[in-house]
Amino acid sequence: MNRTRPLTSGLLAAAIAGVAFGTVIGAAPAEAAPSDAEIVDMLKVIDSRQQNNGDYRSTAYLEQKERGKDDTAFEITFFRRDFDDKLMILFLKPKAEAGKGYLRLDKNLFFYDPTVGKWERRTERERIGGTGSNRQDFDESRLALEYTPKFVAEEKLGKFDVNHLTLSAKDGVDVAFPSVDLYLDKITGNILKRQDKALSGKLLRTTYYPKWSKLFSESKKADVYFPAEIRIFDEVEKGNSTLIVMKETDLRPLDPNLFTKAWLESKSR
Amino acid sequence: MVTLQIALNNLLASRRRTLFLGAALFGVTLLFVLLLALTAGVTDNLIRGATNISSGHVNIGGYYKSTPSDSQTVVLNASQLKAEAKEALPDALRIIDRLRGWGKVISDKGTVQSGLNGIDLADESALLELLALAPAKDYIDNPANAEEVKGSLDALQKPGTIMLFASQAKRLKVDVGDQVTLRTETLKGQSNTAEAVVGAVVRDLGLLSSFASFVPKQTIIELYQFKPDVSGAVQIYLKDIDRSEAAMNELRAHLEKKGYAQLEHDGQPFFIKLLQTVPNEEWTGAKLDVTTWEDESSFLVQIIIGLRAISVFLVMLLAIVIVIGISNTMTIAVRERTREIGTLRAIGMNRGGILALFLLEALLLGLLASGAGGITGGVVAALLDAGGLKVDVDAIRVVLLSNTLHLVPRVFDIVLAVAALTFVSMIAAFFPALRAARITPVTAMQAAE
Repeated sequence: MNRTRPLTSGLLAAAIAGVAFGTVIGAAPAEAAPSDAEIVDMLKVIDSRQQNNGDYRSTAYLEQKERGKDDTAFEITFFRRDFDDKLMILFLKPKAEAGKGYLRLDKNLFFYDPTVGKWERRTERERIGGTGSNRQDFDESRLALEYTPKFVAEEKLGKFDVNHLTLSAKDGVDVAFPSVDLYLDKITGNILKRQDKALSGKLLRTTYYPKWSKLFSESKKADVYFPAEIRIFDEVEKGNSTLIVMKETDLRPLDPNLFTKAWLESKSR
Repeated sequence: MVTLQIALNNLLASRRRTLFLGAALFGVTLLFVLLLALTAGVTDNLIRGATNISSGHVNIGGYYKSTPSDSQTVVLNASQLKAEAKEALPDALRIIDRLRGWGKVISDKGTVQSGLNGIDLADESALLELLALAPAKDYIDNPANAEEVKGSLDALQKPGTIMLFASQAKRLKVDVGDQVTLRTETLKGQSNTAEAVVGAVVRDLGLLSSFASFVPKQTIIELYQFKPDVSGAVQIYLKDIDRSEAAMNELRAHLEKKGYAQLEHDGQPFFIKLLQTVPNEEWTGAKLDVTTWEDESSFLVQIIIGLRAISVFLVMLLAIVIVIGISNTMTIAVRERTREIGTLRAIGMNRGGILALFLLEALLLGLLASGAGGITGGVVAALLDAGGLKVDVDAIRVVLLSNTLHLVPRVFDIVLAVAALTFVSMIAAFFPALRAARITPVTAMQAAE
């Protein structure tokens, strides 16, 4: 298994990132607003860093806090094959949830429940396991494809200098949130904060990415970036939050027949 | 006539036994009538509620799917569909349309999932007659003035308002004037929200209250980004509700003739189809779905079936006790009256006459006692209904589909109960009567000596 390397926003990381992505992040003077093309490039960098030409597998811990309810926690493994947009999420724990899973085939997201042995089609915006997370939190990043960005300002986010962008969904693209505010670390280019908004403009959820990791991919011949921790806060139902912690990530090739209903069903037999 | 006279005399002569059996028959009939009145009351609640809150007598609903998994309850060209309904069903009294949504109602302190009905108050006189503003005690913990009623049923005339049922307001911990957020997804699957001020909190109407809230049509149009003349369902009210199924079939045939794509008839409420059935179908585009009020409230019909089953089970159990009681008492009576039977046989009464005599006794006993029980049951049911007893237990409210005890004593039900219990008492008396009829005069005389 590949070992993940956590990224920090310290000076060393800044220097590395500055070299690696200097053309995008660091080229423009701090005072000058980046051009539209440069902003699109920022998104392309985020997307391309997280994409892997081969396969992707990660085990994650999900914790959901919901007001008026007991906390729930899950352990899941999710699998991706980015070149043909395959995604599978398999629930491992708790025992009552083990064997349940999601499988995306083409543009359809299916949910399997082994207790009833049935597949059901779900929307792309399905709350995974009833948590505040959805498919996009586990899927490859497609920001540049799905959104048109606009530069807002250079701002401070805590101790970090960030580029604040607003994204509007492109026509005909199937996204849960038509409007997004992104806060990108000026040094590393990583997303530090994301605010998803409704069509009405109301802020629905804020997501923080406090920790990013990367792994060298043999198939991509480059590093693949992924958030090691995601914290999602529901801004409408205050008090609801979701924590996603990536425990193990593996970029080695997966079983060719993995992205099938039969494979997922076999996991609960 | 003589047999009737003798039967009556026998009943009066055995006063204690007659009173004991009569009281049992009276009690069971009374209970039976009350249970039938309760079932009729729940059915009445269901019809009133379902046909005003979530459905017309017949509905033209529909689904629009932009992708196989994304579906919404939508009918396009609502005004054209209203015209089609008018043409197909000349006996329609009223044809309205409502916008249907499904989403979260979120307050600072709680969240409920609810059907969001977009209505135009000008079309909804029947709904307004059914709804009543709830006192503060129904939805606020320890209110300063428990009986205080706030808001107005006309509140929905203002844009950006919502009318909630008391149980929803209680879960959301909101009062009239508080703001809530409505959250759902547009036809394209994008998240959207609308802000609404609670304009009225109305009394619960049982389980139906959990699934519905009301907003002005414009709120749903903005939430879902609907184009003009798009609606959720066309609701048709007929002169005779019993014609609903026939009218639905006529309307389906009419729409098919006019070339509208329709879903196969499936007797389930629209929201179950929206959440479970329709997303699992491959088609995209728009399809109509014509249903009756019974389809839209089929999940509630189970309550009525359950109540009927419990009533029948209870009454059958008590009937068995009565059969055993009457049968035993009659058997003892036959033994005690062996001499009398012998005398009657000796003076010329045939076996059929003896059989008829005992059966007539049972018939008279059954008719008088269960008749009295039936009438008393009807009166008690009417009084309880008039009293409007409040039900405070949530589980019972769910079953009764109302906050108050509603009983409907019907003459048919009373006659049915009286006839059934009289028949039961005759059945119980049949074998002892047969035994009495088989006694020969000689045996009877010998037994007497």
